[in-house]
Amino acid sequence: MISRILGAVTPVLLAMLGVMIANLPVSFLGGIVPAPLLGLMPVYFWCLVRPDLMPPVWAFSVGLLEDILSGGPPGVWTLAFITTYAVIDRQRDVFAGLSGLAAMLGFAVAATIACATAYGVETLYYWRIPPLAPVMGELAMSVFFYLPVAVFLGSVHRRLVGPLRSDF
Amino acid sequence: MANGTWRNTRSRGGYQLPLTVLFVLAVAIVLIGKAQSTLFDRARADVTDWMAPGLRIVHRPFDWVSGSWHNVSEGFGVYEENVRLKEENARLRQWQTAAIMLQSQVKRYQSLLHAVPDPSLSSVLAHVIGRAKRPFLETMILDAGKANAVKPGQAVIDARGMIGRIFLAGNHTSWVILLTDLNSRIPVTIEPEHSPALLAGDNQKAPMLETLAQGAKVKPGDQVVSSGDGGILPPGIPIGTVIADGAGYRVALLSDPATSQEVAVVDFKNPVEAPPVPTAKDLPVTAAGLPPAAPPPSAIPAATTAPAPPPPASAAVIPKPVVPAPKKDAGPKPPAASKPAAPDPNAPPGDDPVEDQ
Repeated sequence: MISRILGAVTPVLLAMLGVMIANLPVSFLGGIVPAPLLGLMPVYFWCLVRPDLMPPVWAFSVGLLEDILSGGPPGVWTLAFITTYAVIDRQRDVFAGLSGLAAMLGFAVAATIACATAYGVETLYYWRIPPLAPVMGELAMSVFFYLPVAVFLGSVHRRLVGPLRSDF
Repeated sequence: MANGTWRNTRSRGGYQLPLTVLFVLAVAIVLIGKAQSTLFDRARADVTDWMAPGLRIVHRPFDWVSGSWHNVSEGFGVYEENVRLKEENARLRQWQTAAIMLQSQVKRYQSLLHAVPDPSLSSVLAHVIGRAKRPFLETMILDAGKANAVKPGQAVIDARGMIGRIFLAGNHTSWVILLTDLNSRIPVTIEPEHSPALLAGDNQKAPMLETLAQGAKVKPGDQVVSSGDGGILPPGIPIGTVIADGAGYRVALLSDPATSQEVAVVDFKNPVEAPPVPTAKDLPVTAAGLPPAAPPPSAIPAATTAPAPPPPASAAVIPKPVVPAPKKDAGPKPPAASKPAAPDPNAPPGDDPVEDQ
């Protein structure tokens, strides 16, 4: 019973932990390296692997937490996460069929959708075009960090939730 | 990772309604946030207050790493830096002598001219317990809040110049919007021409100079200071130096938010004074040497000029025998029912009904 509850809440707890770590207000190497979207990785991962453990309302909550902790305009990342979730949900079979390097490419597409949505909302919010370089930096860091994070998430999934799709 | 035997049998049709609803909700949050972001600001301030002790602990090793990295990168050019600093020090000593002389001269002139003294500035020293650089926000978190009289809008400076201003104050923490942030706009003055301009951040290292006045003469190397327009920021805080950027200009900041550890939050008090109440001397007629016009009848006390309406019989007799009595002796007081109102000792003589009669 406890293991089932633990398995059910692990995805969203890890996503929220990721948001908190990404928004920890510390400067890595003088702020040269932007923080990756650590909150989006569990959302993407479990949306493909076990969507029943990552329903849209959790994706919404993770985005909302990202908004509160990041200090930016409210709703920007909430909308970005929900939009990304909707795309992944509609194209789940395509994304889930990717393996190896292509799996990273799949996450890159998802992160691009999230960043593009946030960029678009931010443009409309302030009615001026923000610089593209910081968003591109965050996108690059997110894709770069996805591989180790995905390995970690896979390990957690096997231990606490159940077998992965590749284990069948 | 792919395996043909695995089948995703989970239905996604059930998510369509929540997804649409959540999408609409997210759009609503954006719109509400645009109209009124107080709710989110309060939540952020509360979360930061709650996290402040942890942030202080977590921040130390990162500061150490960041500082070490900075020291290592600077260590390679120590000799050149030393030579440059010695030259700069000799030049600054000359300027210091000139500045001391000018300062005493300015004080003397101010006393001769009875100049209005500059508004008082007080400041709160705060430690940086967090800094974050996100795509749309560059911010810094300080360990001083409302409990230390920190308020939104106040300027934040380090030893070199202005860093930014407070945009959100919790009880024990506050958030700083940096001058380089996309949402930062402050009025500045470009010296020595004293040209007004607007300093606008765009997430680049050097913010832009916008809205230059027509005919403003700006050249690279000019100094940029806060103008104090609007009465929120104090005037004259050093900000940076003008640098050319294509057709426009940017400002190379003096401060370095990435390495600042202690900052000062400047409390600028510039209260709006109420205009003085005009006296009879200030009236145009009096100032021109003419006698003041008679006040309108409605403004004159009825007891002195206007014919009194026929009083009731009881009221007409009461003042005459009773009023002088309390003034002359301390004899037995008349009954309260027949006693008139005692004259106010502070009232002007014209108000005394007895004297008028």
